[in-house]
Amino acid sequence: MAHQAHAYHMVDPSPWPLTGAIAALLMTSGLAIWFHFHSTTLMTLGLILLLLTMYQWWRDIIREGTFQGHHTPPVQKGLRYGMILFITSEVFFFLGFFWAFYHSSLAPTPELGGCWPPTGITPLDPFEVPLLNTAVLLASGVTVTWAHHSIMEGERKQAIQSLALTILLGLYFTALQAMEYYEAPFTIADGVYGSTFFVATGFHGLHVIIGSTFLAVCLLRQIQYHFTSEHHFGFEAAAWYWHFVDVVWLFLYVSIYWWGS
Amino acid sequence: MAMSPAATVARRALAAASQGSHEGGARTWKILSFVLALPGVGVCMANAYMKMQAHSHDPPEFVPYPHLRIRTKPWPWGDGNHSLFHNAHTNALPTGYEGPHH
Repeated sequence: MAHQAHAYHMVDPSPWPLTGAIAALLMTSGLAIWFHFHSTTLMTLGLILLLLTMYQWWRDIIREGTFQGHHTPPVQKGLRYGMILFITSEVFFFLGFFWAFYHSSLAPTPELGGCWPPTGITPLDPFEVPLLNTAVLLASGVTVTWAHHSIMEGERKQAIQSLALTILLGLYFTALQAMEYYEAPFTIADGVYGSTFFVATGFHGLHVIIGSTFLAVCLLRQIQYHFTSEHHFGFEAAAWYWHFVDVVWLFLYVSIYWWGS
Repeated sequence: MAMSPAATVARRALAAASQGSHEGGARTWKILSFVLALPGVGVCMANAYMKMQAHSHDPPEFVPYPHLRIRTKPWPWGDGNHSLFHNAHTNALPTGYEGPHH
């Protein structure tokens, strides 16, 4: 039987990077085809391929780590660096949208009425649903920390409860935001106010959905005994991502909802 | 945004609890979840509900401002004139509100 004289993980050849790249190509070109030729076929194909890629690639990682023992301490360290770098790149992604918002709102043009919010825009009251949303995400930050300590202390039932509660809070946030989007007196087409509002909060909402999904996968894995009290990096990565999503919201709330009203 | 004294005290306790690897960290965060976090959500739910009941249900008067309701390119769905979360009651089209009640 083969024997490696080092602690690193030499990954077996895999088709998923290629299928992921093909999915990206199909989705982007598919989007253009949809916009110009009104056909959603290519984009849908790309989306299906993306979902299949994610499912199978991450399933392989779980197999390699949890069941085959490839995630030794140095390998885990690399995964930690990877997650931190990814989240950092996402911070820069959002920074761009905040830049756009402040660019337009600090010096509102005459076309907008020289004021912010622009003439004719009724902003949402920051102390109604947006404040509730803030409380929901902050609470979910507390419950996910409860979940982490539960896992570290081997408290299986508490870990499942707290993780489930965190996910429910995430879903509650998403539902509240969807309702806000529907009830808002302004749309994405309402000048630069609408653009900055819906693009920034929209991408944030997408990240809440992604984060909730990541946590849900962790819940399923916790139920199936994948995590140990010493080794549960998948959960830690999900928790980091969730805290990042919470922090982005806090900046959105203070900048766009509160200062921007 | 100023934090209440209770929230500041809680924040220090939270910082201490998250650093300790001693037994009981889970218990601390469980207590915080049920005593601070979830009641906080409840208070904000009640507040949001009461505020929503208080204000009028009529959308603002329609003024055909050129800087709003931009239609440079139609949306790729429906008639291309309605946003994804279009609400006929609160969102006017460039020509004004739809339907009979305005």
